[in-house]
Amino acid sequence: MTPPDRDALPIPRYGVGFRLYRIVAAVWVTVVLVLGLLGPISKLPILEHTARNLYFHVPMWFTLLLGWLIAGFHSLRYLQTGRRLHDVKAEQAALVAFVFGLFGLVTGTIWARFTWYVGTDIWWNSDPRQVMVAVQLLICAAYFVLRGALDEPRRRGRLAAVYALFATLTLPFLTYVLPRRMASLHPGAEGNPAFSEMDIAPEMRWVFYSAVVGFFLLFGWVYTTRVRMRRAELLAEDRAVVHA
Amino acid sequence: MQLAPDAPAAQDTTVAVLDPEAAQALTTQPPQGIERVMLAEDKLPVVLAVVLVIWLGLLLLLYRTDRRLARVERDLRS
Repeated sequence: MTPPDRDALPIPRYGVGFRLYRIVAAVWVTVVLVLGLLGPISKLPILEHTARNLYFHVPMWFTLLLGWLIAGFHSLRYLQTGRRLHDVKAEQAALVAFVFGLFGLVTGTIWARFTWYVGTDIWWNSDPRQVMVAVQLLICAAYFVLRGALDEPRRRGRLAAVYALFATLTLPFLTYVLPRRMASLHPGAEGNPAFSEMDIAPEMRWVFYSAVVGFFLLFGWVYTTRVRMRRAELLAEDRAVVHA
Repeated sequence: MQLAPDAPAAQDTTVAVLDPEAAQALTTQPPQGIERVMLAEDKLPVVLAVVLVIWLGLLLLLYRTDRRLARVERDLRS
């Protein structure tokens, strides 16, 4: 008894391309870390050195968006084709992106605590964007709860894919659109361009864009590794079924 | 930091958002406890904390992935 062909998950070969990718990602992120910690910044009161968190906190949210767009894409493809590989990719993209989202939430909490909320002992300050991304992360977390609650793979894949599309749709609104329409600690409120204060140190802009690219590369690395892991697990399960 | 209970900032938590000067006034008192560490060196330790959160989180993810791979290797060998 062999599984149907469309469900086959052959172990892929990762050749020179992926090796090169990993080296580029590692070097890129290292350079970003160095530039981020030593590069010039705009010296602003309250912020002081924490302006550097721009390079580490904000790319987390961009990565969350990227990861869920990938998860949404593969969920759509899964609904279209029913190929198990799309289900695997959607799940792992969602998971890695969710972890980056958690980093974003925790780093943002720490950042605000020691800048705008110094001396108040307030960790959770109920900034509109903070609350909304927390809601979004709960919506994302429900995806994994849903997956865990269903045993039959086809049913799980279909329902999870539909739900992932819903979560992907709410994400831009809860993290980007709505918070911008309210008074917030975050730049870009009241429709202002988000980076106005960076004009003081234009060098920051380039480090920031590099940081975003760097964390995207890092995401791709972790995501690919997770997909490989899940493929190997499913292959082991298939073999166990065949040998049983 | 211990604020007097009647200090306006202790009651009105939105003060830092709406009034930067009031937020700045809070920082003029000497920091206590964890803030003594985090506010030193022009708040550079805050950046360290943020980078460490990401680094330790990625380490944890790597560790969990590694453990699951080890289990697969065991299953495939048996």
